[in-house]
Amino acid sequence: MTLRAYLRLLNIFYKNTLMSELEYRTSFTANVLTSLFWLVWAALSVRVFFFQTETIAGWTYNELLVVVGLFFTMNGLRQLFLQPNLSRLSEYVQMGTLDYILTKPINSQFLVSLRYIGVENCGDPLLGLALLGLALWRMGYTPGVIDVLLFLTLVASALVILYSFNLMIQTTTFWLINIRRADSLVWSLLEAGRFPVQFYTGWVRLALTVIVPVAFMTTFPAQALLGRLPAWIAAVALLMAGVLFLLASAFWRVGLRSYSGASS
Amino acid sequence: MRNLLRAYRSLIKAALITFFEYRAQVIIWVISFIFPLVMMVVWLAIVSEAGQVSGWGRSDFVAYYVGAAIVHQFTQSWATWEWEEQIRTGDLSFKLLKPLDPFHHIFTQIVGSKLFLLTTVLPIVLGLIWLAPGINYTLSPARLAACVAAVIGGFMVSMLMSTAFGMLSFWTTQSGNLYGLWYGVGNFLSGFIAPLALFPAWMQKIALVMPFRSTMGLPVEILVGRLDWAGIWLGLGITAAWMTIFTIIYRLLWRRGIRHYDAVGA
Repeated sequence: MTLRAYLRLLNIFYKNTLMSELEYRTSFTANVLTSLFWLVWAALSVRVFFFQTETIAGWTYNELLVVVGLFFTMNGLRQLFLQPNLSRLSEYVQMGTLDYILTKPINSQFLVSLRYIGVENCGDPLLGLALLGLALWRMGYTPGVIDVLLFLTLVASALVILYSFNLMIQTTTFWLINIRRADSLVWSLLEAGRFPVQFYTGWVRLALTVIVPVAFMTTFPAQALLGRLPAWIAAVALLMAGVLFLLASAFWRVGLRSYSGASS
Repeated sequence: MRNLLRAYRSLIKAALITFFEYRAQVIIWVISFIFPLVMMVVWLAIVSEAGQVSGWGRSDFVAYYVGAAIVHQFTQSWATWEWEEQIRTGDLSFKLLKPLDPFHHIFTQIVGSKLFLLTTVLPIVLGLIWLAPGINYTLSPARLAACVAAVIGGFMVSMLMSTAFGMLSFWTTQSGNLYGLWYGVGNFLSGFIAPLALFPAWMQKIALVMPFRSTMGLPVEILVGRLDWAGIWLGLGITAAWMTIFTIIYRLLWRRGIRHYDAVGA
């Protein structure tokens, strides 16, 4: 199948989810209001720290708001594209419905990863970007073209890294069966991305950069936007995204091999 | 003999799978300690730059937030979502046929998970605290008893509070969301975002009379020895008062809600 065919399928999938979601418009409004609440919550809770000090590890309040905004954006994109799909995997395996997916004449990883879209969560990324914009405005700072390009590269890499990471965790469902709570595991780890990695010390900072790449999710894109990131880190991010994606896909195939369907 | 061996193999395999399943859950429980610990890390970053803040140094924050992480695990309650699901799916109707009030089903389920926490996770965490330098909770037996009472009271407050919110499920599908918002407001007043001692005086006064401090700040303040006996008794009294208030609210809403539920179901 060609790339175009896959794009056409995505279009159909997303329209289909959107249509079924539109039936719950109250819950949609409620979700956006909830997102707004948590965004304000995050901005205010950060303010509490600044009652006691002017800068934390070299970050001012406004700069920190850029990171918080990015955290909402990235976490929101994760909930929009990744969570509605990968969290179903353990159910597919338990119920044996994965059989149906495997018999379809299309890449199973594609179908398992992108079939659904969590439309109700589209408030988070937008509100996150709004907070980011507000923070830049409060600073009176306009990023240059190169800053923005670096920023976009880093955001794209971060999304691929997040996806690969998520796929690897969800693939363990082939051996561990019931890992529905793994979602909250990923979520708790990402929670560390609310703050720049400079807040963390020693091995924790190292782990958040290398093992669980939380730094790539919020700190580096924020630094890029503020014009403080060396360009080679963007190259590392791209490389990391590529390697992790290949690793996750390989792991997925290993997992599939150990799956025996309900009907077999 | 051969059959027996085969059966054994399957049984052992099944047992192993269950073990691994639980192991994964244990890891997840441990990880969910991260949330309050992230807050601690920020305060440590502040202290390392600015020195002590309002008399709180490095070891004070570590002791406070490690205690908070443990207490939070024991006091949090997700009863609102349980009620929401029971009412939305109609499962409540089956629970109503049983002689026991549906409250007890949800209550025992949550208490069960706390006992699991007590037997598996607590020893690990206590071991880590014992190994880690700088944290020592020196508690007299009486203070330890007060701390345990405060944790149990805190759990009861959040159990009854989340149950009262769960009753809203009779009229709206947003009760879980509403409880989430309430909990979010509570984070500022419970001692989660910052130890209450670091807030302005007017906020401390509000926090003192609200229910949130019972679910986190009070037990932890007793644990780290920052509260005198008068403060402990006052805190426990406020905890008891909120338990009563939320019980009354819950029962009133329950009586109205169940009538509404009958009307819709019939």
